[in-house]
Amino acid sequence: MMDILFFKIALCAYLISTLGYIASLLIGRVLIARASTWILLGAFIVHTVYFLFRGIETGHSPFINLYESLSFFAWAISGIYLAFQVKTKTRVLGAFVSPVAFLLMMAASASGGLGGDVSMPAILQGRWVTIHVILSVAGEALFALACLAGVMYLIQDGFIKSKKVSGFSRLLPSLRDLDRINHICLLWGFPLLTLGVIAGSIWARTVWGSHWHWDPKQVWTLIAWTFYAVLLHQRLAIGWKGRKIAFFSIVAFLILLFAFVGVYMFFTTSHRFV
Amino acid sequence: MNIILIGINHKTAPVEIRERLSIDCENPDRSLIEIAGIPQIKESMFLSTCNRVEVLAGVADVDSAVENLKAVIFSLGNLSSEEMEKCLYVYHSDDAVRHLFRVASSIDSMVMGEPQILGQVKDAYRQCVEHNASGVILNKLLHHAFKVAKRVRTETGIANNAVSVSFAAVELAKKILGNLKGKTILLVGAGEMSELAAKHLMGSGISRIIVANRTYGQAVKLADDFHGIPAGFDNLEDKLQEADIVISSTGAPGYIIEKAMIASALRGRKNRLMFLIDIAVPRDIDPEAGAIDNVYLYNIDNLQEIVDENMSSRMKEAEKAEVIIDEEVLEFSGWLKTLKTVPTIVSLRDKVDEIIEGELGRSASWMNNLGEEEKENVKILISSVTNKILHDPITGLKEESQNDGAAPYIAAIKRLFRLDDD
Repeated sequence: MMDILFFKIALCAYLISTLGYIASLLIGRVLIARASTWILLGAFIVHTVYFLFRGIETGHSPFINLYESLSFFAWAISGIYLAFQVKTKTRVLGAFVSPVAFLLMMAASASGGLGGDVSMPAILQGRWVTIHVILSVAGEALFALACLAGVMYLIQDGFIKSKKVSGFSRLLPSLRDLDRINHICLLWGFPLLTLGVIAGSIWARTVWGSHWHWDPKQVWTLIAWTFYAVLLHQRLAIGWKGRKIAFFSIVAFLILLFAFVGVYMFFTTSHRFV
Repeated sequence: MNIILIGINHKTAPVEIRERLSIDCENPDRSLIEIAGIPQIKESMFLSTCNRVEVLAGVADVDSAVENLKAVIFSLGNLSSEEMEKCLYVYHSDDAVRHLFRVASSIDSMVMGEPQILGQVKDAYRQCVEHNASGVILNKLLHHAFKVAKRVRTETGIANNAVSVSFAAVELAKKILGNLKGKTILLVGAGEMSELAAKHLMGSGISRIIVANRTYGQAVKLADDFHGIPAGFDNLEDKLQEADIVISSTGAPGYIIEKAMIASALRGRKNRLMFLIDIAVPRDIDPEAGAIDNVYLYNIDNLQEIVDENMSSRMKEAEKAEVIIDEEVLEFSGWLKTLKTVPTIVSLRDKVDEIIEGELGRSASWMNNLGEEEKENVKILISSVTNKILHDPITGLKEESQNDGAAPYIAAIKRLFRLDDD
């Protein structure tokens, strides 16, 4: 049961880092934010260890069911943020990422996979399904970050346009850095999600006999995917930048989020493997 | 020993008096030597900047030291005593310490939070050390002041936020464009403020500057100063397309840069962000241009408002700084008070050590029968017993010194242990 211990430690570390970021925003002290980043790194490492243990203990790849994929989502988004932190000075992004990671972890533990039945239906075993989940979730994590950066962009843009730059605006990164995060996230997220969907369809063919069968989750993901395809085209070919891209990145992610979560609530889907 | 601080600053003395003092104090060596020559002064530091001239000193007899110090300062500045008395301030003990801490933390500066003053205080201290004018008290006091300045800087926002229009422009540019390296700036027209802003921006990494003027000759001349590219107004639209930052300050009566020009420039540069600064009155850039996505337009009033807001937030931060300074003054005066007990403690220890030495000497003959290790153990035993015995009285003495109540105890210890006076 080592894996559960690590999961809980990681969960606590995400919480502490979230509280630290909130405190640093309220008090306006960089030191606390810096500590929170290190705690987030700690959470990320513990979480990585958790996946290793989980993989060894259950004998299958630890990213497959809802519980696992939510936790993998939290892991991926934290990891991507930490990579950005190294490259750009956008520490405050952590204040947005950290709570998301924490909430995902909470959702993961609430979804009941913790310590429960670890046996896997036969159709969920195999290489393609693992590749499908890893690539899709990594792509979605990048899009989530693009969305968070978009939210921050709109806030910062609002401050600068309305000439209110001495307050909270001071804590946010520059517009150009936020736009660059958006750019990189779209650029990497899109091929990852695309490959994830392709891997999924190859796997679907092996278990259901056809690549695609208009499942609601597939349909909504396809809508979001198309949206991102257009967005990336506008960005790269037409030269959309800044506000417009930020806004549509948020809209696109809401659609994707619906495919990921909402579909569970409103439709019956064969994509439910909890 | 008492600490005094005597001086004038921008708040108490008009510039005519400050400049006379600082001109004559241009040779700080001479001033230091003259001040150190005053017999009542044991330690002294001389600080002279364009906004203040101050002497910090550890003195034996306060009143006569102050009189003599004033006389030296008057003669240095070649000023009559009536003129000087009006602007001179004298602080004693805790107040002197507090003043020094406030100066070092830049609370007392003309532009509150400006960073130069700490360096100036450090220079003054270095000179003082070089002249052997510092002693136990000033050494401790100045290092404490540096610590306080650092605390104030890191724990309050006193030095945050630009308090001049040109620096506010630089901060905004960074907020919009991120790292300024490799960015291009377009200077339209000329003027003191726009040139200053351009200089600050170039100091932040911008290397490419285009200087546009109505008359090309003027543009060439200005471009020379900035190592920039000259341009006339006829191809302003092309140049706009290249510019990440535009600073405009012409004397033109109407708008030089229309909204449509900006819109087309933005298309030409694939929507890369533009920061427009309109310093001119009447304005050069159509204010409507600020409504375009990815274009950020600030005029001189907008920048001034930011500066005012920043200034008032510094004022608020200064209140936090005062609290920190109060704490630190208390800590320092605590140290200063224990200092009075130090000679007594030292001679008490000396006496005890002497006794130990003597008794060990007398027991040398039988101690020779012991092995090296046993001898060492006996010595350790003796010193730990005496340390234990001395610990409580020494701590008690230090505690009493915090309430200024040490004097009778010092007398008693001296009497009971037969300690010689110095």
